[in-house]
Amino acid sequence: MESSGVASHAPGKREQIKTSVGAVAGQRRRKLAVTLGKERRDAVVRGKRIRRADTNDDSEFMELAEAAVDDENAYKQLEEEVSQAVQNLKLALSTSGKGAATKKLEALRKLRQLLSFNSAPPIHVAVASGAVPILVDCLAFGSSEEQLLEAAWCLTNIASGELDQTRAVLPAVPLLIAHLGERSAVHVAEQCAWAAGNIAGEGEDMREILLSQGALLSLSRLIFSAVPSVARTSCWAMSNLIKGPSARAATELMSIKGIPECLVQHLIKGDEALVAEVAWILVYVTVLSDSCTAVLIHAGVLPPLFQWLASSEQTTVLTPILRTLGNIVSGENAKTDAVILAGHNVSGGLCGALLRCLKAPHRNLQKEGAWVVSNIAAGSMEHKRMLFTSNLLDRLVHLLKAAAFDVKKEAAYALGNLCVTPKQAGTEPHPILEHLSSLVARGCVKEFVNLVRLPDAEASRLGIQFIELVMRSLPNGQGPKLVEIEDGIAALETLQFHENEELRNMATVLLDGYFGDDYGLEEEYGSKVVDGNAGGNDVSDYPSWRRKGTVGV
Amino acid sequence: MQQSDNLLQSLSQCFLQTLAPNPEPRKQAEAFLRQAADLPGYGIAVLQLVSGSTLDEQIRQAAAVNFKNHVKYRWEISDPDAISTFTPIPDPEKEQIKGLILGLMLTAPQKIQSQLSEALASISSHDFPQKWQSLLPELVSSLSSSSDYKVIHGILQTVNSIFKKFKYQYKSSELYRDLKYCLNGFAAPLLDIFLKTGQLIASNQDLPAVLKPLFESQRLCCRIFYSLNFQELPEFFEDHLDEWMGEFHKYLTYTNPLLKETDPEKESVVDQLKAAICENINLYMEKNEEEFKDYLTGFATDVWSLLMDVSLLPSYDRLATTAIRFLTTVSKSVHHSLFSSAETLKQICECIVIPNVRIRGEDEELFEMDHVEYIRRDMEGSDTDTRRRMACELVKGLSVHYKEQVTSMFSTYVKGMIDKYAANPIENWKEKDCAIYLVVSLAPRQVTGGATGTDLVNVEQFFVSQIVPELQSQDINDQPLLKADALKFVTTFRSQIPKAMALAVFPNVIRFIVAESCVLHSYAAGCVEKLLLLKNDRQPRFAPADVAPFLQPLLANLFSALKLPESQENAYVMKCIMRVFSSADIGPIATQCLAQLAAILGQVCKNPTNPSFNHYLFEAVAAVVRKSFERDPEVVAAFESILFPVIQVVLQDDITEFAPYVFQILAQLIESRRPPLPSVYISLLAPSLNMTLWQRPANVPALVRLLQAYLQKAPEEIIHGNQLTQVLGVFQKLIYSRSTDHQGFFILNTVVENLSYQTLSPYIGQIWNVLFYRLQNQRTVKFIKSLIVFSSLSVVKYGHTVVAESINAIQPNLFLMILEQVWIPNLSFITGDLECKLCSVAATKLLSESPVLLADSAVATWGKFLNSVVTLLVRPEEERVNEETDVPDLDEFVGYATVYAQLHNAGKREEDPVKEVKDPKEYLVNSLMRLSSQYPGKFPSIILQHLEAPNQTGLAQLCSTYRRTLV
Repeated sequence: MESSGVASHAPGKREQIKTSVGAVAGQRRRKLAVTLGKERRDAVVRGKRIRRADTNDDSEFMELAEAAVDDENAYKQLEEEVSQAVQNLKLALSTSGKGAATKKLEALRKLRQLLSFNSAPPIHVAVASGAVPILVDCLAFGSSEEQLLEAAWCLTNIASGELDQTRAVLPAVPLLIAHLGERSAVHVAEQCAWAAGNIAGEGEDMREILLSQGALLSLSRLIFSAVPSVARTSCWAMSNLIKGPSARAATELMSIKGIPECLVQHLIKGDEALVAEVAWILVYVTVLSDSCTAVLIHAGVLPPLFQWLASSEQTTVLTPILRTLGNIVSGENAKTDAVILAGHNVSGGLCGALLRCLKAPHRNLQKEGAWVVSNIAAGSMEHKRMLFTSNLLDRLVHLLKAAAFDVKKEAAYALGNLCVTPKQAGTEPHPILEHLSSLVARGCVKEFVNLVRLPDAEASRLGIQFIELVMRSLPNGQGPKLVEIEDGIAALETLQFHENEELRNMATVLLDGYFGDDYGLEEEYGSKVVDGNAGGNDVSDYPSWRRKGTVGV
Repeated sequence: MQQSDNLLQSLSQCFLQTLAPNPEPRKQAEAFLRQAADLPGYGIAVLQLVSGSTLDEQIRQAAAVNFKNHVKYRWEISDPDAISTFTPIPDPEKEQIKGLILGLMLTAPQKIQSQLSEALASISSHDFPQKWQSLLPELVSSLSSSSDYKVIHGILQTVNSIFKKFKYQYKSSELYRDLKYCLNGFAAPLLDIFLKTGQLIASNQDLPAVLKPLFESQRLCCRIFYSLNFQELPEFFEDHLDEWMGEFHKYLTYTNPLLKETDPEKESVVDQLKAAICENINLYMEKNEEEFKDYLTGFATDVWSLLMDVSLLPSYDRLATTAIRFLTTVSKSVHHSLFSSAETLKQICECIVIPNVRIRGEDEELFEMDHVEYIRRDMEGSDTDTRRRMACELVKGLSVHYKEQVTSMFSTYVKGMIDKYAANPIENWKEKDCAIYLVVSLAPRQVTGGATGTDLVNVEQFFVSQIVPELQSQDINDQPLLKADALKFVTTFRSQIPKAMALAVFPNVIRFIVAESCVLHSYAAGCVEKLLLLKNDRQPRFAPADVAPFLQPLLANLFSALKLPESQENAYVMKCIMRVFSSADIGPIATQCLAQLAAILGQVCKNPTNPSFNHYLFEAVAAVVRKSFERDPEVVAAFESILFPVIQVVLQDDITEFAPYVFQILAQLIESRRPPLPSVYISLLAPSLNMTLWQRPANVPALVRLLQAYLQKAPEEIIHGNQLTQVLGVFQKLIYSRSTDHQGFFILNTVVENLSYQTLSPYIGQIWNVLFYRLQNQRTVKFIKSLIVFSSLSVVKYGHTVVAESINAIQPNLFLMILEQVWIPNLSFITGDLECKLCSVAATKLLSESPVLLADSAVATWGKFLNSVVTLLVRPEEERVNEETDVPDLDEFVGYATVYAQLHNAGKREEDPVKEVKDPKEYLVNSLMRLSSQYPGKFPSIILQHLEAPNQTGLAQLCSTYRRTLV
């Protein structure tokens, strides 16, 4: 017999994938290390930063640079000026004698001004004209502070460009790192940290180069600085440097004496701008290393995080804090307990603070917040109870119904996780009937059915898993009827030809198992005679013990 | 392998021969190639032939196909454990191939190009991008340097196929890493080529031959866009949203009469592109609504006007459905207010929905020519992409926010259509078809008991006024499509139609079972079948007495329908027969019915083709047998004489598809017999123990069932025929595999149930050996549970002494070890009412009688054992069973040529092996009480020490329930 025709004929195949239908969400998800999308506009621009000149920096190029933003001719002129400035600098370097140093600085400053008066300076021209080697010369030991600053500034802005431009700056790396040291003037060190941060922001290979030349240790010293802008810049550069995907740098940073405590102090005493940068370091540490996360918790990172979470209005601050917390609660339950405990210090506790984010007008905060909740919801029974009885539940249901797609999906993960018992190795989670029934009563079945139809594999899987749970768990066979009424059959049918094999199989299993040809036989003959496959209430991957003939009579 | 000219010569000779009409040289050539393919260098050699532009086109093409398969099966052997007959391609050769293939593909003639493109795709599925870093840069550079659209097409096609995985795989770090790589490499070139091709389109407006490949290239770009944007909105695309959306808008509103197709079935390149764009904007609407919202109004207008004048020809189907899907997404979104005005809603419904719902010539043709496909689409939901279904989805989408308006509009439309039909039924039958279609389709799809209602019409009134007249029509072959609609309505709303009304039309419905139209008589049979399944309070709505008056004509028509052209193996009809037999009272005519089924069975044996039909046929047979035996066991002899001839045919001719069914029917017959069994059964016993039968996985459950029946009804014959050894041989074979071990236990348990210990004792040592060997080497939860059930059964049937002694005979003290290490720790995982009862009774016996356990040295074991029994008895299953499932052994399921299909009607009833014990809890308490009175003071302290707290409470509660005290 071919497997076509009556699909209920394939018990073997069906059982084989049964497990995947039963295994509802129940999982914690860390953020993926790779990002594709734009960092949301309301989040701070993370990767690379150009340093703009102060507007009171008196210069002949000011007007030209501003005009160049939307005037092609002005831009061309600016390009020529840059090219000329590089030539002048070369010339100034080769001359000696009285006033040479001043001339050199003058030429250098001109170039820097050209490269810092608008947000898209012609750095490509600077690179093409050979600016980098001379700028490296300008970084030579013993140069004046002013010269070092101007050169590092130029390099910073060149490194803020595209891949090739960043790469062009690599010859300067050893000197940039050298000037991060204690003997440098503070503003020079800061500028070098900035340049290093831009290089690190380019990608993994650049980070490796910086790390192999000892950038981490030098940079870490600046984090201790009492000068706010230095601490801030170095934390930002550091967050770029430890991004991974390897956990090595993050681990190394956390093992430097005093760093965890220093970061906590910054959180307690710093302003929001510094806190945002520190929090991004925390994001990468917590996503990359469990043991370092424990170190941070031990150092007391949670209480100040909660103070900010409960009070800040800045998405730039709230976003990395939510990420950090979400990473922490995606670990073992004890860490979630620690987070809950720390939450007691703010009014409304953890749930209250999260609710504030879920109600924020920013979509990204809602999404990050719901993601945190979904990870807590994958925790212990106590965690599930806590969420279920909190005022977060109404909000999550609302988001599931009305939010934009990405927020909706996070809310669905959270709600789905609330409905199953904790996941244990090698076992399938059981439904938590009380939670499930409550969500069903709030009209969630319809929303999960809608997820099935969306062009998103995870959303479809979430939808189908929830549907499966409803059909399997609700008493008196209400489940399949409810799903039918919400037009779930039609939704499942759309997956029967899906290119994702798992989804295709899951849909087929559910359609056959609950609505297939055998449907109704159980009622007719009594459950004992009917193959457990057909009833769909059998979660094991081998013939059920309640099925015929076990005792062999 | 040396790539000498000689070799290439002989390979090319071989490829030529594979095309030979004469099978002899063809097979020889194929065998040669199979062998040669294992040698290193083969792939490169074949690729050389493919590229040999001087060679015969045929040879190159055959070589290309061969190369594609070579790569597909040998690039990477997916499962290292599976015994593969393929030798994988060596790594250096792979690198060579990767270096050559792209260049070759891009320059090859079209037919060869498509083979090489597939080969490239399958290599990519393993190697790209991680192990093939050069591919994407090469593709990009060829793309930017080429102006030949044949080459560009090849590049885009390749990119499209290697990027496809992004649109169906789940998010993962690996996928994102790959996607990021592809975005970095291809997002910008994609936009470049899309814009560049756009300019070429603009400057070649009146040259259709130039335009066509350009449009095809744009369509591929749109598909690649879809893949790259599927997971989330990438930065590059967000930054260039204006450019992309601007282009999309341009093409959605593009028209060029020169590019229209004359063939009504052929989709034009422009429409293909538009459909791909609709999918893209639908994706954005669903997932990136915030970024997309500024463009939404414009696109809604574009798509809207596109739908207003899209033709109803089949060649526009895809465009129409994707465009409607976009509007549906918008209608359900937060931006639904775009459609909020009454006038807009009206226009959508009247100009978009209704025209697309109306039946078309193609549907009518399908109704007549391909009933299977028509039914699948019309009744079984495989129409997800048809215009009709999509139009209904749009109505449902609009109803999310404008339910009242939409419902009232459609009620009016339905009424209007019905009125129009009434004015001229012959001319306007399509109006009624449309009305019924809307009413049925706009109710949620429900299988269970049918739809619960509709807001469009009053079901009962509509049934009486519109449906009944159709069903009562004199000529059953007149306007069959409308009749089929009427039957679909009855089937859909069956639970809403009052019983009396349904009974009144029953005879009418039955008439259509012999209508000429295949769709119609299938629907009639399906309708009856579904009606018979209806339940009120767990009782069938139509009791046997209700059906009795129509039973004769119903069966007569059903069997006649099987003689209609194209319906000899109509599964709907056979399913209905099965349902009638299992629900109606067929007492007096059973034998006659069975004879008819046997005759059909004899026919299909000659050439089994339709698995569904055959399945229901056997179900029907099993239903007759089951129903008749319940009524009169003596009828079995008559049944045997009808069934045996066909059963013999199946077994003798080795009709593998039917064997599992036949074994189940045989078991059913044997079970209804009182011993001794007639000799004909006994003569079948020896062949059924033949190992070749057991090697087919699909046979195993059915053969186990059959063997159980023999053990139950003919144990003496088995013993005297010296077949017990063979039975145990089967048990041994099954027990060693983790996918069949439970089946082995079924047999073993039946042996214990039906054979005396005396008979079994010579084998018992061997049996334990087999079981313990398996326990040692492959311990699974399923196996341990089965082992405990079997051991418990043995204790209950044979007594604890022989069980303990026979185990200890293998190794001194082994019984206690097994108890401590296997039995006690796993007892509480047993599930199933009968199994729990059996195991607790056996454990109680051991606790109160076994000297091994009552020894002073075993006090702790005794305590733990009691703890497990109490857990088993007092804790709910959900609490004690951790649902420790084993990791499924995927391999063992692979390769089911025939799949075992259980017959529900031949189902087996379980029996309680310990009937003498009514209540296992009471039995435990009584036994403990008796025991404790023998050793006063001994057990309370053991209980205190070894029982978990909840179990102490549980036991105390049991004692108080049964008013017993442990001293």
